[in-house]
Amino acid sequence: MQREEKQLEASVESLISRVAYVKNALHSFIYKLENEYDRLTWPSVLDNFALLSGQLNTINKLLKNEKTPSYRSQVIIPLLLSPDRDDDLAKLTEQRVPVFSHEIVPDYLRTKPDPEVEEQEKQLSAEAARIGPEVAQKQIQTLNKLCSGLLEKLNNPRDEREAESSALRQNKPSFNPADTNALVGAVAFGKGLSKCRPPGPVAPGLPGQGPLMSGGPTLQQVTIGGGSGQQPSMGGPVSQQQGQPGKMPSSIKTNIKSASGSMHPYNR
Amino acid sequence: MEAPPVTVMPVTGGTINMMEYLLQGSVLDQALDSLLHRLRGLCDNMEPETFTDHELVYLLKGQQGNPFILRARRSLSHPTAPWHLRYLGQPEVGDKSRHALVRNCVDVATSHSLPEFLNEMGFRMDHEFVANGHIFRKGAMKVVVTKLSRILVPGNTENIERLSLSYLVELSVLAPAGQDTVSEDMRSFAEQLKPLVHLEKIDPSKQRH
Repeated sequence: MQREEKQLEASVESLISRVAYVKNALHSFIYKLENEYDRLTWPSVLDNFALLSGQLNTINKLLKNEKTPSYRSQVIIPLLLSPDRDDDLAKLTEQRVPVFSHEIVPDYLRTKPDPEVEEQEKQLSAEAARIGPEVAQKQIQTLNKLCSGLLEKLNNPRDEREAESSALRQNKPSFNPADTNALVGAVAFGKGLSKCRPPGPVAPGLPGQGPLMSGGPTLQQVTIGGGSGQQPSMGGPVSQQQGQPGKMPSSIKTNIKSASGSMHPYNR
Repeated sequence: MEAPPVTVMPVTGGTINMMEYLLQGSVLDQALDSLLHRLRGLCDNMEPETFTDHELVYLLKGQQGNPFILRARRSLSHPTAPWHLRYLGQPEVGDKSRHALVRNCVDVATSHSLPEFLNEMGFRMDHEFVANGHIFRKGAMKVVVTKLSRILVPGNTENIERLSLSYLVELSVLAPAGQDTVSEDMRSFAEQLKPLVHLEKIDPSKQRH
């Protein structure tokens, strides 16, 4: 009997000291998060987590140790409740529990979950009771399916990534420099675009116009005498196109010359 | 309607002295979806916008020098929207320290009588095309992914034929002259689109012939 009591005492002592370590680690981590968040680096956050998890592991090991008596079989009975402030208790609990009264004791000495947790649990079990067993089974299956799919993906990330990148590599280039040049030429100078003809009846058909025009007449093609005031009456537009006999609309009043001729139909 | 600038000199002074910083590239049709996906992720969170425009390029040729060019654009998807008249200056590409092509740029919204007005002014249409595609924004940057189509029958924007198997990709910023830092931002943005699209400073005069 004596020996068991001593053992219990020793194990409680060591448990208290372990818990104190965890508490200190938590304390300093929270302090860092609150006061040094601007210069806190991710690796140091990870270090703190690792420290906490290590300490929690030690506590777990300690509790599972054969030499540790089972705390579950120990009973704590509140012997004296008092509504008055107890300074010693406040000091022991770092001002967290100043009074050992009938109001708080049931909460602090309870062996069941916290009231809020209990409430949540009640809601959950109500929810579980509400849906039928078939629906529940279905949900379980869906969740299992999702989980196994996710696990599979997490387990074979490399294969997929490699497949993806090799697919990318196999892909043809996503652009063609020759196309770029053609398009830039088109917006800048109308290269490869249909040239405008003088208003009026349009020559029918005009097959193969694109290739014919590309690289052919460019901006210099249209020559007009407007703006100079030299043709007060009927001057109007004079379009000059490259000599393509047979394709030129003939019924309109324009002065058609070959491109090799004079650029300006009206002598100045 | 306001008269468009008729000198070949760059427009200076006032609030209209804006420069356009431009990077260009292209993407093949089959890679378009990946590009749009990436742009949706990179750009400002907004509803995806598409457009279909008809652009007419007008020339005013003096007796000497380069012709004066104005670009008139109208939306085919929003026929009631104002026309858009644009003047683009000569591109400056020589400066190696700049990562983008820089050119003078004047934008004006106009009424629907713009083509008649330009004709009266002595401008003549040189060529036209249909541009449709997607537009994205990131801050001041604008990313336009465009399919260009030639118009088979003049004036008929229904009867069109696509120009190539690629989409033109343009990254542009409008900024007051001298704000060369924007070209840095553009370059870092362009880096993020690699290797899908290589946005470059392309001298258009080299594509001329």
